[in-house]
This record gives sequence, structure tokens and C-alpha cells, in this order.
Amino acid sequence: MKNLTYIFLLILLVFTSCKEEEIPALMDVEINFENTLNGKPLQLNGGSFTLPSGEQFIAKKFKYYISNIILSDTKTGEFFAVPKSYHLIGQDFNSKINLGPIPSKTYDQITFSIGIDPEANAKTDQTGDLDPNNDMAWNWNSGYKFVVLEGEFVHKSSGERTGLVLHIGRNQNYKTVSQSLVGVRAGRATTINLVTTIDQLFLSPHKLQVSELPSTTIMGGALADKIGENYSNGFVKIK
Amino acid sequence: MKSLQLLLILVLVSFGSCNQLDSPDQKSPSFPEMVLPTISKSLGVGSFPQPDRNPMSKQGMVLGKKLFFDPKLSKNGKVSCATCHKPTLGFADGTDLTKTGVSGKSLHRHSPPLFNLAWHTTGLFWDGGANDLESLNFGPITHPDEMASDLNDVLDYLINHEEYPLLFQQTFGEITISSAFFSRAISQYTRSLISQTSQYDDWKNGQYNLTDIELKGYEIYRKNCSSCHKEGLFTDLAFHNNGLDSVYSDPPELEGIHLGRFRISFDSMDLGAFKTPSLRNITLTAPYMHDGRFATLEEVLDHYENKIKITKSLSPILFTPIKLSNMERKELIAFLKTLQDDLFIKNHSQEKF
Repeated sequence: MKNLTYIFLLILLVFTSCKEEEIPALMDVEINFENTLNGKPLQLNGGSFTLPSGEQFIAKKFKYYISNIILSDTKTGEFFAVPKSYHLIGQDFNSKINLGPIPSKTYDQITFSIGIDPEANAKTDQTGDLDPNNDMAWNWNSGYKFVVLEGEFVHKSSGERTGLVLHIGRNQNYKTVSQSLVGVRAGRATTINLVTTIDQLFLSPHKLQVSELPSTTIMGGALADKIGENYSNGFVKIK
Repeated sequence: MKSLQLLLILVLVSFGSCNQLDSPDQKSPSFPEMVLPTISKSLGVGSFPQPDRNPMSKQGMVLGKKLFFDPKLSKNGKVSCATCHKPTLGFADGTDLTKTGVSGKSLHRHSPPLFNLAWHTTGLFWDGGANDLESLNFGPITHPDEMASDLNDVLDYLINHEEYPLLFQQTFGEITISSAFFSRAISQYTRSLISQTSQYDDWKNGQYNLTDIELKGYEIYRKNCSSCHKEGLFTDLAFHNNGLDSVYSDPPELEGIHLGRFRISFDSMDLGAFKTPSLRNITLTAPYMHDGRFATLEEVLDHYENKIKITKSLSPILFTPIKLSNMERKELIAFLKTLQDDLFIKNHSQEKF
């Protein structure tokens, strides 16, 4: 059955191009995301987690945009840029991106961005994963929240459960990441497993002591930009 | 076997499509009729800017207008865009901080009048936070103290409505109704609200003579007001701190709403800066300022004469107070009255929904 699907796709490709060309082979590629905190799979509204600065933490919402995915073969310089590549990933929401059949290559690098590029981030009357119904569009400051983490932590000095709201967006926090791929072979269906480490939002280069912050509702400004720098490196990487 | 048959059919179809560019039995969609408004020279603008993705059409304006006046878009079915943007008041609401939203709670900013919005390319809202009308509409529709809707409920309502699906189809073709499209339709209507037929415009177009007192007022305006309320649109579309406050409260739940343009730009020189409102229709759009704190034009003039609070981000031009005699005030206000566009108001108020 699977073979038939391949034949069908190949035939379709040949005939839609209406020319006699070399038949390109296609391959299915899927990207899988696993969200972790403290080295464990994230759970919303439960589990036993701490923030890197030591506070007990319950996550209530975790969503982020991955966009403009490019798979490349650095040896030949050939690459495949996923068209209209905006993908909302979230805990208990969506953890996969199915790229579908794409040109077959021995890709050895994946490049993607966290957030939405400035052009697409300039307006919010969009559809698909950028639909404002997804609750990721800001309505008083046109653009998207790139990374959202909401939850409650136990404050170190007051001992009280305190809200933590990170809504990180704005063009300067659009960050592009490249990772080496191993084991992708032309013509073979592949799953790329990525792991997203929430700890990294608080770790480096800017260490955040959550209980010492003047406000734990962070939606813009210097602190949001620090978190943006933190997620530019090591936040989403190959498992 | 079934799969093979399907394959064969597909192959045949593929062959066929290579030779036929247009299949004759394909229904040609009825295109919306595009509309380009005529623009008076007295607006001082070149062309009519609109986003490529949402060009204005007759059908779009009709649909947008229906949406604008439809209270069913709100959570309790009672608040429409027009509740706070009344055509008779230049699409403002006559209140400082309205409580007519779904929650009954007071808003934190004054409902701005709506006209000549196509040229507000520096951003909409008092702080310019919305890049365009298409992105703006989601704010008032979802804000708990305004229309308080869940966008998914709005879509359910529109999709199951007797008339809306056809209107969407006539405007946008065969689409799935989504938030993007209903916002675009509302934007086509609000972008079509062009105020350019006041006595002032008639004067500029050689069809009216300003009276002596109005002319004197015009000169006073030119000397004292026109650097920010730039002639034409009567706004420079820029953001200025005009000395209303020296401290700004900033509770986290209000997301910096009292900080002015600063909450968008994070530039300390934008603290307390709000967009210059147009002087067009100013006699209809009281009370004044971003929070409606001044009930009358006299109070506004008092502010510029002796109540300006000097702070680091104060617009430098306001370090010099604007001192006018009582006579000069009368003359200025006489001129401002010529900016009231009765024809615009009449055209938009008579329509019934």
C-alpha cells in the first residue's frame, strides 16, 4: 500500500510538471518535539518541577512558534525550504510538524527559527497556525507571542504561589537556529526528534532568579529580550 | 484493485490537464467590484493607501458595515463597534472613558473618532500599537471590557448566519470564513470613512469663503497648532507627550496602558506620548485627550496655556506655552468649527441597520 502511494506521488509529480525530466525521489519527513523541564517530560497542571532558580513550579501553558524550516545538504549546498512554514507547537496541543513528501536528499542540517519573521509578524489577520484564534496574536501591539510559558511558582521570600507569565515576542526576539542532522538518508522516511528545554529560558547567557524579579509578568522590555537571547541557543535542539 | 483504478484515473487526469489550461465548465467566480475613493486635494495626501491583501470593494464595504453595526459579534449580543463609535459624533462616543462595554467596567482610554484612517500608517490606537486596521479589530472585539468575544464564537455566529456566508463569498470568493476575513471586511468599511467635505475643504476647493473671524482663526491655528495638527489631515500622525501628566501608573495587568507610546517602542522619550488626534470634526468629538479628561475646547486651550507638566519626554515645542487672548480663542474656535464635516456625518448617520 505504501509502495502504491509512492508510485502515485511519483507519477503525479512527473505529469504535473509536463516535461520529461529526471524523476526526483520524494521522502516523508516529520519533526517531533518533546518539551522538557528538569530533564523530564513536561506536564501541565501537575508533576513535580522546579525552575532553574530553585522554586517549585507548576506549568499551565507552554506554546511556541517554530518557523521557516530549511533542510540542507551542506556538502552539495542543496537545500529545501519549507513553504509557508509557520508551526505552532505546544504542550497538550501539537507536537509534530509533518513536512510531507519533500525532495529526497541526504540532509545533514536543519535550520529553523523560534518566533515569526518580521514580515509575517507585522500583521495578525492571517490563517492557519497564524490565525489569531490560536490565542498567540497580541491585539494591542500587532504581532505574535513567540514563546508563551505560564504557570505558578512558590516565591522564595513570601512563600506564596505567584503567577509567572512569559509572553515573549517582538522582532528582535526572532531567533534562527541551525542543528546538524545525523542519519537522514535520501529516499527514506525520517523522523527528526527535537527536544525543547524550558530550563534554558532562565539559564544562559542570562541567569534569571525568578523570586528576585520586580515583576513576573514579562511581556516586553529588557527582560523579555534577555529571555529571547536565552532561547536563541540550546532551547530547541536535536535529541 | 481499487487503488489501481484510482491511479489510472489520476494519470489520465494529469495528461488531460497538460493541454487544457482553462477547463470551460469551471465556474468563473463573480469578482467583487473594486472601489477607489476620490480624494479631495484639501486632505493633503497623495493617494489612498490600502494593503495589497485587502483592496476595498463595494461588497466588502457592505459586509464590513453590517459587521460594524452588528451587536451580535459581542459576547452578550448588545455591544457593536458602533456602540462606542457613533456616526453622529464622528464615530467617537461623547464619553471620557466609556462603561458601555460588556463588563460595564470603565475603559482606560477614550474611544477615538474614526475617519481618514487609511492614512494612519504610523499605527492605530492612541499609542500606534496596531500596525493596520486589519490587525486592530481583534483588540476591541476580544477585550473583556469592550465586546468580550471569543473569536471562535464570532466565527460560529457568522458561519451559521442567514446572510453573512453569501456576503463573505461575494467579497472574498470561495473562502472558509476565518477571523482574518471578517477583520478585513470591517477594515474595508472603516477605511472608507473619509471626512473631506467640511467648510474648510470647500474653502480650499474654492467653493466657500471663510468669514473674517474664521480667517483670523485660521492664522492663529497656523501659528500655534499646525506643527502637530498638520494641515490636511490636521494631524502629523506622530506621538507626542503634551504635558498632561508627570507620573504614570503602571499596574502589570494593564500592560503599560498609561505609558503611552512607550509601551510599544520602549523608548523613554515616548513616555506619556500619544498620537496627535485630528482637529477635523473636533466640535463633535468632545471630550478631549486620550483619556477624555477635558470636556471642552476651552479646557484644552487652558491646558496649553498654563497647565503643561514639564517632564523629560515632553514634546520640546510645548516648552513655550500657547497664550491666546479671549478674542483669539473665539477666532480659533470659529475656525475649528469649519472643520466639522456635516455631509460626512449625514451620509453615515442616515444609513439604517
